Amino acid sequence: MLDADILALTRRVTARRALASPAAVAAGLAFPAFIAWVGLADSYGAAEKLFYFLLPHVFLVAAQDMARTDIESGALENVLFAGGRFRGYLAAKGPVVAAAAAAYASVLFGLFAAWGLAAGACRPDVVVRFGLALLAGLYYVALAGLLGHFLRGGANVLTVLLAQAAALLALLFTASSRTGLLDYAATGRFPGAGAKALFAGLVAVLPNVTVSARPTPFVAEVAAGLGLLAVLRWRLLRDLELGGRRGS
Amino acid sequence: MIEARRLAKRFGPVEALRDVSFKTARGTITAVLGENGAGKTTTLKVVLGFLRPDAGAVSVAPGRIGYVPDRPAFFPWLDGWTLLGLGRSPAGGAESGNGREFRARVQAVSRELHFDPGLLRRRPASYSAGDARKFAYLQSLVPGPDLFVVDEPYASLDPPSVKAVRDVFAGLREAGKTVLLSSHMLAEMERIADGFVVIRRGATIAHAGLREWRLMRQSRAAPDLETVFLRLGGP
Repeated sequence: MLDADILALTRRVTARRALASPAAVAAGLAFPAFIAWVGLADSYGAAEKLFYFLLPHVFLVAAQDMARTDIESGALENVLFAGGRFRGYLAAKGPVVAAAAAAYASVLFGLFAAWGLAAGACRPDVVVRFGLALLAGLYYVALAGLLGHFLRGGANVLTVLLAQAAALLALLFTASSRTGLLDYAATGRFPGAGAKALFAGLVAVLPNVTVSARPTPFVAEVAAGLGLLAVLRWRLLRDLELGGRRGS
Repeated sequence: MIEARRLAKRFGPVEALRDVSFKTARGTITAVLGENGAGKTTTLKVVLGFLRPDAGAVSVAPGRIGYVPDRPAFFPWLDGWTLLGLGRSPAGGAESGNGREFRARVQAVSRELHFDPGLLRRRPASYSAGDARKFAYLQSLVPGPDLFVVDEPYASLDPPSVKAVRDVFAGLREAGKTVLLSSHMLAEMERIADGFVVIRRGATIAHAGLREWRLMRQSRAAPDLETVFLRLGGP
């Protein structure tokens, strides 16, 4: 399904699309601007917490239009994609988007770490946090990629964001009690299987909660979820066809 | 060049193809004919690999494929030059078509198609229907296809462009390339094609070369392809 030619083609098409979208460029610049504003207005520590927590969302925002929009536009029924190459193009989109987001995240990480070093506030565990943020980001690309087969435009990303908003609202209720899910997660001790399962559900929707200086067993859930989503998407692409019954 | 054997394809309750078989040879032009909904486009899409047959098989000789669909569509954020550049292999140089030879080839094919190369600076979404179609031809012809598949070849084209496209088909045949067309324009097909595949309700009901078609016309006392087609189709 994938070869060097189709990877190169996908990279060129994806890069052109990103650069042709002022909204994508603005979203890409808004994140570091927001972090810088928090760092300057409050403290490097506050900016650091937000930076690592929100970094996986760079991947999520990048993973719009993963399949359905291209399929419905008819642009894949093009000579470029004859011979089943459209499957290779869609399969390559995941790795291409992930690689682009990872490269951008790495630049931001470098700049942010340099700021921390200059301020004397950079700790060695940031590498672990960055690694976990990358893993959560890859999970988002796989999740949005799978949803992108059924939802067009940015609806795949919006669906994830809405699910996260619902999950966070639910968390607010637990936070009002003496100890809530996040408290359990912070200590690594859950009072029972029910609370653990609830947190596992939260991780599936918001893997950002696994980004910390000390990896928890829930990181394995994110990694396994990433693998499962990739396999599901691969199966969808393998069976995908174009233009069923549009003409005669 | 192409061999389709007993192709069948179903879309839910709709049986689009039930038994389509045909062969085409190198250096020929074959026309796939049929009524609306007969399965012509589905057949082409199976040949091109956009659809997988539920039964049967299709084999295509290795080589570069060109394809112009009945309704061409392009990535809307790319201009003409960039889209053409995407068809170049990575070894071919700059992606946006800056290579001198590549530009010369684009200019030459544009002239053949009566297409204004100045339009390439714009996005095909802004082209007229006829220019968009000619751009689809350009995109497929610039790389030099060994097999050229076209669905409704003359749709949206004005008479000079129809002639230009007909000459392109003839040129490809002379160069030993294979052309597979699907069309309703029977008189045009009779003028250009060497072989005919008639599909009705998802099945091949006739598959013949030009000489056999002429014999069929005589045996059915038919003055032209249209009459043969109508008599073959039956009630």
